[in-house]
Amino acid sequence: MRGFFRRNQELDLERELRAGRPEPKDEFVQMLEGRVRETGRRSRGGFRVAFVGAITACMLFALASVGGLGQAASAVSDVAVTAKRIVNTQGPTIVQKSSAASQYGKPAKKKVKAKKKVKAKKKVKAKRQVRRAGRPRFTG
Amino acid sequence: MARDPLADPGPLIRRVYAYVAYRIGDGAEAEDVTSETFERALRYRESYDAGRGEPVAWLIGIARRCIEGTRLRPEPFGAAEEAADPIDVAGATIERLTLAQAVERLDERDRELIALRYGSDLSARQIGEVLELRTNAVEVALHRALARLRKLLEDEDTAQADARLTERPSTL
Repeated sequence: MRGFFRRNQELDLERELRAGRPEPKDEFVQMLEGRVRETGRRSRGGFRVAFVGAITACMLFALASVGGLGQAASAVSDVAVTAKRIVNTQGPTIVQKSSAASQYGKPAKKKVKAKKKVKAKKKVKAKRQVRRAGRPRFTG
Repeated sequence: MARDPLADPGPLIRRVYAYVAYRIGDGAEAEDVTSETFERALRYRESYDAGRGEPVAWLIGIARRCIEGTRLRPEPFGAAEEAADPIDVAGATIERLTLAQAVERLDERDRELIALRYGSDLSARQIGEVLELRTNAVEVALHRALARLRKLLEDEDTAQADARLTERPSTL
Protein backbone atom coordinates (compact mmCIF):
# COMPACT_ATOMS: atom_id res chain seq x y z
CA MET A 1 0.00 0.00 0.00
CA ARG A 2 2.82 2.36 0.94
CA GLY A 3 4.62 1.45 -2.28
CA PHE A 4 1.52 2.35 -4.25
CA PHE A 5 1.37 5.83 -2.69
CA ARG A 6 5.07 6.30 -3.24
CA ARG A 7 4.63 5.38 -6.91
CA ASN A 8 1.76 7.86 -7.16
CA GLN A 9 3.88 10.59 -5.62
CA GLU A 10 6.65 9.77 -8.08
CA LEU A 11 4.26 10.11 -11.00
CA ASP A 12 3.10 13.48 -9.67
CA LEU A 13 6.66 14.69 -9.41
CA GLU A 14 7.43 13.45 -12.92
CA ARG A 15 4.37 15.27 -14.22
CA GLU A 16 5.44 18.44 -12.43
CA LEU A 17 8.96 18.18 -13.80
CA ARG A 18 7.63 17.83 -17.33
CA ALA A 19 5.11 20.64 -16.90
CA GLY A 20 7.63 22.94 -15.25
CA ARG A 21 10.22 22.35 -17.93
CA PRO A 22 12.15 25.58 -18.62
CA GLU A 23 10.96 27.10 -21.87
CA PRO A 24 13.05 29.40 -24.05
CA LYS A 25 11.73 32.78 -25.17
CA ASP A 26 9.85 32.67 -28.45
CA GLU A 27 12.06 35.31 -30.07
CA PHE A 28 15.15 33.30 -29.13
CA VAL A 29 13.68 30.16 -30.71
CA GLN A 30 12.69 32.06 -33.86
CA MET A 31 16.09 33.69 -34.17
CA LEU A 32 17.99 30.43 -33.75
CA GLU A 33 15.59 28.53 -36.00
CA GLY A 34 16.07 31.16 -38.72
CA ARG A 35 19.84 30.90 -38.45
CA VAL A 36 19.76 27.09 -38.64
CA ARG A 37 17.46 27.10 -41.68
CA GLU A 38 19.49 29.80 -43.44
CA THR A 39 22.79 27.94 -42.92
CA GLY A 40 21.14 24.72 -44.04
CA ARG A 41 19.99 26.30 -47.31
CA ARG A 42 23.47 27.70 -48.00
CA SER A 43 25.24 24.43 -47.37
CA ARG A 44 22.77 22.49 -49.47
CA GLY A 45 24.20 24.12 -52.66
CA GLY A 46 27.53 22.43 -52.05
CA PHE A 47 25.74 19.23 -51.27
CA ARG A 48 23.93 19.40 -54.63
CA VAL A 49 27.19 19.78 -56.53
CA ALA A 50 28.67 16.83 -54.65
CA PHE A 51 25.54 14.79 -55.36
CA VAL A 52 25.69 15.50 -59.11
CA GLY A 53 29.40 14.61 -59.11
CA ALA A 54 28.71 11.34 -57.36
CA ILE A 55 25.94 10.43 -59.81
CA THR A 56 28.23 11.19 -62.77
CA ALA A 57 31.01 9.06 -61.30
CA CYS A 58 28.55 6.19 -60.77
CA MET A 59 27.32 6.40 -64.36
CA LEU A 60 30.87 6.45 -65.73
CA PHE A 61 31.78 3.44 -63.65
CA ALA A 62 28.68 1.55 -64.80
CA LEU A 63 29.31 2.35 -68.46
CA ALA A 64 33.01 1.46 -68.24
CA SER A 65 32.24 -1.87 -66.63
CA VAL A 66 30.02 -3.01 -69.54
CA GLY A 67 32.15 -1.53 -72.33
CA GLY A 68 29.64 1.18 -73.03
CA LEU A 69 32.31 3.83 -72.64
CA GLY A 70 34.19 2.61 -75.78
CA GLN A 71 30.95 2.38 -77.71
CA ALA A 72 29.99 5.87 -76.63
CA ALA A 73 33.45 7.16 -77.67
CA SER A 74 33.19 5.56 -81.14
CA ALA A 75 29.67 6.95 -81.54
CA VAL A 76 30.95 10.40 -80.69
CA SER A 77 33.84 10.11 -83.19
CA ASP A 78 31.40 8.89 -85.89
CA VAL A 79 29.24 11.90 -85.23
CA ALA A 80 32.29 14.15 -85.45
CA VAL A 81 33.35 12.65 -88.81
CA THR A 82 29.84 13.00 -90.23
CA ALA A 83 29.59 16.55 -89.02
CA LYS A 84 32.95 17.37 -90.55
CA ARG A 85 31.85 15.90 -93.87
CA ILE A 86 28.67 17.95 -93.84
CA VAL A 87 30.32 21.16 -92.77
CA ASN A 88 33.29 20.87 -95.11
CA THR A 89 32.30 22.86 -98.29
CA GLN A 90 35.67 22.75 -100.11
CA GLY A 91 36.08 20.91 -103.43
CA PRO A 92 37.42 17.40 -103.83
CA THR A 93 40.72 16.81 -102.17
CA ILE A 94 43.51 15.74 -104.45
CA VAL A 95 45.51 12.87 -103.15
CA GLN A 96 49.18 13.59 -103.58
CA LYS A 97 50.25 10.03 -103.10
CA SER A 98 50.17 7.72 -106.05
CA SER A 99 51.50 4.29 -106.85
CA ALA A 100 54.23 5.82 -109.03
CA ALA A 101 55.27 8.15 -106.28
CA SER A 102 55.58 5.28 -103.86
CA GLN A 103 57.64 3.29 -106.40
CA TYR A 104 59.90 6.10 -107.65
CA GLY A 105 60.05 8.32 -104.69
CA LYS A 106 63.02 10.44 -103.72
CA PRO A 107 66.22 8.50 -103.28
CA ALA A 108 67.14 7.75 -99.76
CA LYS A 109 69.67 10.11 -98.28
CA LYS A 110 73.13 8.86 -97.72
CA LYS A 111 73.89 8.06 -94.18
CA VAL A 112 76.08 10.77 -92.75
CA LYS A 113 77.27 8.67 -89.90
CA ALA A 114 78.46 5.90 -92.19
CA LYS A 115 80.48 8.47 -94.15
CA LYS A 116 82.06 9.76 -91.04
CA LYS A 117 83.04 6.28 -90.04
CA VAL A 118 84.63 5.71 -93.40
CA LYS A 119 86.47 8.97 -93.04
CA ALA A 120 87.65 8.01 -89.61
CA LYS A 121 88.80 4.62 -90.88
CA LYS A 122 90.65 6.30 -93.69
CA LYS A 123 92.36 8.60 -91.22
CA VAL A 124 93.50 5.66 -89.14
CA LYS A 125 94.82 3.94 -92.26
CA ALA A 126 96.70 7.05 -93.32
CA LYS A 127 98.23 7.39 -89.88
CA ARG A 128 99.40 3.81 -90.00
CA GLN A 129 100.95 4.38 -93.39
CA VAL A 130 102.79 7.45 -92.08
CA ARG A 131 104.07 5.46 -89.10
CA ARG A 132 105.16 2.67 -91.40
CA ALA A 133 106.88 5.12 -93.70
CA GLY A 134 108.99 6.40 -90.79
CA ARG A 135 110.19 2.89 -89.94
CA PRO A 136 112.69 0.90 -92.05
CA ARG A 137 111.15 -1.73 -94.25
CA PHE A 138 110.77 -5.15 -92.72
CA THR A 139 113.08 -7.49 -94.36
CA GLY A 140 112.42 -10.59 -92.39
CA MET B 1 21.65 9.57 -48.41
CA ALA B 2 22.20 10.84 -44.81
CA ARG B 3 19.21 12.37 -43.00
CA ASP B 4 19.53 16.04 -42.09
CA PRO B 5 19.54 16.16 -38.26
CA LEU B 6 18.47 19.83 -38.26
CA ALA B 7 15.59 19.53 -40.70
CA ASP B 8 13.05 20.61 -38.08
CA PRO B 9 14.99 22.80 -35.62
CA GLY B 10 12.12 24.32 -33.60
CA PRO B 11 11.29 21.40 -31.27
CA LEU B 12 14.97 20.49 -31.03
CA ILE B 13 15.85 23.99 -29.83
CA ARG B 14 13.19 23.75 -27.10
CA ARG B 15 14.40 20.36 -25.92
CA VAL B 16 18.06 21.33 -25.89
CA TYR B 17 17.26 24.57 -24.08
CA ALA B 18 15.21 22.72 -21.44
CA TYR B 19 18.10 20.32 -20.87
CA VAL B 20 20.64 23.14 -20.59
CA ALA B 21 18.38 25.17 -18.29
CA TYR B 22 17.91 22.20 -15.94
CA ARG B 23 21.69 21.79 -15.88
CA ILE B 24 22.90 25.37 -15.45
CA GLY B 25 19.78 27.40 -14.72
CA ASP B 26 17.18 29.21 -16.79
CA GLY B 27 18.19 32.46 -18.53
CA ALA B 28 20.75 34.14 -20.74
CA GLU B 29 23.50 31.63 -20.02
CA ALA B 30 21.26 28.77 -21.07
CA GLU B 31 20.46 30.65 -24.28
CA ASP B 32 24.18 31.15 -24.96
CA VAL B 33 24.95 27.46 -24.46
CA THR B 34 21.97 26.46 -26.64
CA SER B 35 23.17 28.80 -29.40
CA GLU B 36 26.67 27.41 -29.17
CA THR B 37 25.30 23.87 -29.35
CA PHE B 38 23.49 24.63 -32.59
CA GLU B 39 26.49 26.48 -34.04
CA ARG B 40 28.60 23.37 -33.45
CA ALA B 41 25.84 21.16 -34.82
CA LEU B 42 25.73 23.22 -38.01
CA ARG B 43 29.49 22.98 -38.36
CA TYR B 44 29.54 19.22 -37.87
CA ARG B 45 26.14 18.28 -39.30
CA GLU B 46 27.84 16.05 -41.90
CA SER B 47 29.25 13.92 -39.09
CA TYR B 48 25.77 13.00 -37.83
CA ASP B 49 25.09 9.28 -38.18
CA ALA B 50 21.40 8.36 -38.07
CA GLY B 51 22.33 4.78 -37.24
CA ARG B 52 23.80 5.85 -33.90
CA GLY B 53 20.76 7.65 -32.54
CA GLU B 54 18.14 10.34 -32.87
CA PRO B 55 19.14 13.93 -33.71
CA VAL B 56 18.10 15.10 -30.23
CA ALA B 57 20.50 12.64 -28.57
CA TRP B 58 23.28 13.83 -30.87
CA LEU B 59 22.51 17.47 -29.97
CA ILE B 60 22.42 16.70 -26.25
CA GLY B 61 25.87 15.13 -26.57
CA ILE B 62 27.10 18.41 -28.10
CA ALA B 63 25.32 20.46 -25.41
CA ARG B 64 27.00 18.41 -22.67
CA ARG B 65 30.40 19.18 -24.14
CA CYS B 66 29.47 22.87 -24.44
CA ILE B 67 28.52 22.96 -20.75
CA GLU B 68 31.75 21.23 -19.79
CA GLY B 69 33.70 23.60 -22.03
CA THR B 70 32.24 26.79 -20.65
CA ARG B 71 32.50 25.41 -17.09
CA LEU B 72 29.31 27.14 -16.06
CA ARG B 73 28.26 26.39 -12.54
CA PRO B 74 24.91 27.36 -11.10
CA GLU B 75 24.92 29.69 -8.12
CA PRO B 76 24.10 27.83 -4.92
CA PHE B 77 20.49 28.30 -4.05
CA GLY B 78 19.86 31.13 -1.59
CA ALA B 79 23.43 32.47 -1.76
CA ALA B 80 22.29 35.73 -3.32
CA GLU B 81 19.60 36.34 -0.73
CA GLU B 82 21.94 35.51 2.15
CA ALA B 83 24.58 37.86 0.81
CA ALA B 84 22.03 40.63 0.41
CA ASP B 85 20.60 40.39 3.90
CA PRO B 86 22.36 37.91 6.21
CA ILE B 87 20.30 38.84 9.27
CA ASP B 88 16.98 37.99 7.71
CA VAL B 89 17.60 34.20 7.66
CA ALA B 90 13.99 33.39 8.43
CA GLY B 91 12.87 35.55 5.52
CA ALA B 92 15.22 33.71 3.18
CA THR B 93 14.05 30.27 4.31
CA ILE B 94 10.41 31.08 3.76
CA GLU B 95 11.21 31.98 0.13
CA ARG B 96 9.33 29.54 -1.99
CA LEU B 97 11.57 26.79 -3.29
CA THR B 98 10.48 26.17 -6.84
CA LEU B 99 10.96 22.87 -8.54
CA ALA B 100 13.69 24.21 -10.80
CA GLN B 101 15.55 25.58 -7.81
CA ALA B 102 15.23 22.24 -6.06
CA VAL B 103 16.75 20.60 -9.11
CA GLU B 104 19.64 23.05 -8.90
CA ARG B 105 20.30 21.87 -5.35
CA LEU B 106 20.75 18.29 -6.47
CA ASP B 107 24.25 17.03 -7.12
CA GLU B 108 25.70 17.14 -10.64
CA ARG B 109 24.89 13.53 -11.48
CA ASP B 110 21.23 13.71 -10.38
CA ARG B 111 20.75 17.04 -12.12
CA GLU B 112 22.17 15.56 -15.31
CA LEU B 113 19.73 12.65 -15.17
CA ILE B 114 16.72 14.89 -14.44
CA ALA B 115 17.74 17.25 -17.26
CA LEU B 116 18.11 14.40 -19.74
CA ARG B 117 14.85 12.71 -18.77
CA TYR B 118 12.52 15.65 -18.15
CA GLY B 119 14.33 18.49 -19.92
CA SER B 120 15.29 16.96 -23.25
CA ASP B 121 12.64 14.22 -22.90
CA LEU B 122 15.00 11.34 -23.72
CA SER B 123 14.03 7.77 -22.98
CA ALA B 124 16.03 5.68 -20.50
CA ARG B 125 17.62 3.84 -23.42
CA GLN B 126 18.68 7.09 -25.07
CA ILE B 127 20.05 8.40 -21.77
CA GLY B 128 22.02 5.17 -21.49
CA GLU B 129 23.53 5.83 -24.91
CA VAL B 130 24.50 9.39 -23.97
CA LEU B 131 25.97 8.48 -20.58
CA GLU B 132 27.27 5.08 -21.70
CA LEU B 133 25.20 3.23 -19.11
CA ARG B 134 22.80 0.31 -19.22
CA THR B 135 19.11 1.13 -19.47
CA ASN B 136 18.47 -0.62 -16.19
CA ALA B 137 21.17 1.39 -14.43
CA VAL B 138 19.67 4.61 -15.81
CA GLU B 139 16.22 3.70 -14.50
CA VAL B 140 17.57 2.95 -11.02
CA ALA B 141 19.64 6.14 -10.94
CA LEU B 142 16.64 8.20 -12.07
CA HIS B 143 14.45 6.67 -9.39
CA ARG B 144 17.02 7.63 -6.75
CA ALA B 145 17.40 11.14 -8.15
CA LEU B 146 13.63 11.62 -7.96
CA ALA B 147 13.59 10.36 -4.38
CA ARG B 148 16.29 12.86 -3.42
CA LEU B 149 14.41 15.66 -5.16
CA ARG B 150 11.22 14.79 -3.31
CA LYS B 151 13.12 14.77 -0.03
CA LEU B 152 14.44 18.25 -0.75
CA LEU B 153 10.95 19.53 -1.50
CA GLU B 154 9.49 17.90 1.63
CA ASP B 155 12.26 19.36 3.81
CA GLU B 156 11.55 22.77 2.37
CA ASP B 157 7.82 22.39 3.02
CA THR B 158 8.56 21.44 6.63
CA ALA B 159 10.89 24.42 7.05
CA GLN B 160 8.22 26.74 5.68
CA ALA B 161 5.58 25.30 8.02
CA ASP B 162 7.92 25.73 11.02
CA ALA B 163 8.66 29.30 10.00
CA ARG B 164 4.95 30.05 9.79
CA LEU B 165 4.39 28.57 13.27
CA THR B 166 7.20 30.63 14.82
CA GLU B 167 5.94 33.79 13.12
CA ARG B 168 2.33 33.45 14.34
CA PRO B 169 2.84 34.43 18.07
CA SER B 170 4.70 37.57 17.11
CA THR B 171 1.87 38.76 14.88
CA LEU B 172 -0.71 38.33 17.64
